[in-house]
Amino acid sequence: MNKLLKSIIIAGLVTASYAKTTTPATMVSTDGLINAQRVGNINISTISPSDGIWSKAKTTTIILYPQQTIKLNDAKANKLNAANLAKKVKVSAIYSSNAVAFKLVWSDPTQDKLSGIKSDMYGDGFAMQVPVSFNDPKKLPYIGMGSDGRPVVVSLTKAVTTHYEPNGNGNVENQLGTSNMNLFGDELKQQKAKIASLGNSQYVKSFVSEGFRSMTEIKDGSAKVGMKMSYDSKTKQWTGVVAKSLNDGTLHLGGHGALPISFAIWDGGKMNRGGIKNISSWVAVKLQGKSGDDALVKELTTPPSGNAIAGKAQVEAMCAACHTLSDTKKAANAYMAPNLKDIGGYSTNAYLAESIKDPNAVVVPGYNKNAHKSMIWYNADPKTGKRTTTMPPMMTDDKMINDAVAYLKTLKAGVEK
Amino acid sequence: MSKRQLAMVMDLNKCIGCQTCTVACKTQWTNRNGREYMYWNNVETYPGDGYPKKWMELGGGFDAAGDLKEGVIPNIQADYGVPWDFSFDEIATFDYTKNNSTPALHANETPSWGPNWDEDVGAGNFPSDNYFFYLPRICNHCTNPGCLSACPRDAIFKRDQDGVVLVDLDRCQGYRFCIAGCPYKKIYFNPKLSKSEKCILCFPRIEEGLPPACAQQCVGRIRFVGFLDDEESQVYKLVNKYKVALPLRSDYGTGPNIYYIPPTDAPAKFDSEGKIIEGSERIPVKELETLFGKQVHDAIKTLRAEKEERSKSGESELMDMLISYNHQDMFRLDTNYYQEIAKTKNKNPLAPIDDRYSKGKFTQQFSLPVAEEAESEE
Repeated sequence: MNKLLKSIIIAGLVTASYAKTTTPATMVSTDGLINAQRVGNINISTISPSDGIWSKAKTTTIILYPQQTIKLNDAKANKLNAANLAKKVKVSAIYSSNAVAFKLVWSDPTQDKLSGIKSDMYGDGFAMQVPVSFNDPKKLPYIGMGSDGRPVVVSLTKAVTTHYEPNGNGNVENQLGTSNMNLFGDELKQQKAKIASLGNSQYVKSFVSEGFRSMTEIKDGSAKVGMKMSYDSKTKQWTGVVAKSLNDGTLHLGGHGALPISFAIWDGGKMNRGGIKNISSWVAVKLQGKSGDDALVKELTTPPSGNAIAGKAQVEAMCAACHTLSDTKKAANAYMAPNLKDIGGYSTNAYLAESIKDPNAVVVPGYNKNAHKSMIWYNADPKTGKRTTTMPPMMTDDKMINDAVAYLKTLKAGVEK
Repeated sequence: MSKRQLAMVMDLNKCIGCQTCTVACKTQWTNRNGREYMYWNNVETYPGDGYPKKWMELGGGFDAAGDLKEGVIPNIQADYGVPWDFSFDEIATFDYTKNNSTPALHANETPSWGPNWDEDVGAGNFPSDNYFFYLPRICNHCTNPGCLSACPRDAIFKRDQDGVVLVDLDRCQGYRFCIAGCPYKKIYFNPKLSKSEKCILCFPRIEEGLPPACAQQCVGRIRFVGFLDDEESQVYKLVNKYKVALPLRSDYGTGPNIYYIPPTDAPAKFDSEGKIIEGSERIPVKELETLFGKQVHDAIKTLRAEKEERSKSGESELMDMLISYNHQDMFRLDTNYYQEIAKTKNKNPLAPIDDRYSKGKFTQQFSLPVAEEAESEE
């Protein structure tokens, strides 16, 4: 009884403080910060883009930049995506005691679904990435799906038509072509109806990852997430929602006052999949009414303090031999080192500074070692798999690093209207 | 490189294009669950566009510097060809008692390409200098696979024990960069599973000492199977001793492990009067050089010399091998080898030695000298 009473009182206190802090006057209005409004309950399994609950949420525009770190080997896709611009995504956010949910709206001229017997079609989709831990806001996981010792949990959905395999039940014996079945007439019709009833029109997956090569699907049901997306053919916009439990088998984020989140979107019409996508940097999500994690919010919303002009000269002198800074001038060998032409769009100041000072802190998994043998990005310990970069520490002076970071943050594509 | 490497040799002089290998593979592996359009084993006519259409022009493989080249992913309808169904159901269930027009038999697709679309077309003018030969193709289980190198998920691995290249279906997310990376286009996208699938060299059979289904069923007995480091195997002798078996398009830089004995025994050309032109080559050696590289000249020389030798003296180990007297000699596999591996790993000897294929454990960088150790630690 006492316990219950206590929880009611706490709930009341939370509601009271919620009411106080949601007045517009106290709203933090920092650029690129997502404000998540407290709501009573988020039902992860039923959340939908048209839910009335979204009327409570505030909207922030987040910019998603084309991923350029590695160049993939699909000739057609590379051509289609060569001149990609950054995309604007309108993000609204809400949270409850056990979950956080986002609504994303972005424009896409075509609705592309993974469907039918096709080998060269791809579905539109979006994903949300959350670090498993972010106690030190200067050491967030690498934006490309985490890094060694800094895991992330990725929730992904893709636009698909109803598919009958895999349906998650593992009953492949029902999925044979009908010409392989000894069935005719009514029996065949019944079988077809049975298979149709097993169909699945959802494609929602969760992954844990310490760098993009290591991404592994979570199949034990421990990741609690709900995702949906719907296309409006009039406005040519996708609306996607994602609701993720703050405390499940993968994440324990209940006590935080703010979260770092990153989003990615794929345009199937441009053969986007895997690394061919647009991705945001880590964005701070302030859980309105909850305290804590001010350092995280500050870290992710403060512009770089250095002198970008001085930094430009330094970076061009010290980095451009290996790293591509721009396609038009001074493009380095595409396989030599991570391409930095959009790095300012999808990395944090702290990540850039850390990587200049200590290139081994985060080693980008890069290409398969057999793909570009003469361009070794890193050496891996054969026993532990731990990667050691081939990049030497370039700068030690903090002023120099700050200036370089300021310049690197300017390296990014223009934004689509 | 894997510790050991399985290889197959195919004698193109003896391939009659009967497609028994194709059917053996299809019924064993690819007649179901989204694999219907795939032919892990196909026999195409050369010269021809092949399967998938114009595969040699679709990129992938490595350039001279060792960099993976860009490639194109073929379209199922246009480049592979889809199997179609006829409307038998409609005709069988039609109510003929009513006075309707009887339904006609029709296909549910309008095919424009297929795995054998240009069969026997070949090149040249009949009868003076036309030519073609059959080119059976399976996955080359390359030493340096383009598909493996292209995968950003490390979902493709090469078994250290025998060099078989497999897709870890648990890690595969259906991105299809592997298809662009494979210059032979011998890895396929399964649209039902949304994952890539390929020839597995019948590893469950291999581990039990049986050759792959395509080799076992070959009526012309053109296929030899064995370990490349086994000096007793005919594969070793054909590839390394006599050097008459050559890899296909080794210029792609992937180190293919399926070898071909070039076709040397085509009839001579005819002149305008229909008379034999003595000493003429109906199959242009230049074409063979494109497929098998410069070594083809030596291979042809050896083959002809040994043939001559056999007809004179009745003795030639090479010719005896190519006659393919019995399967036992042609297929030199090693069940014990696999059972020993199973024993050291404390596994049921009947279970596949490497369960990453089915279980999807984290795939280590392939060919590390300690891969064995790393696995046993798990």
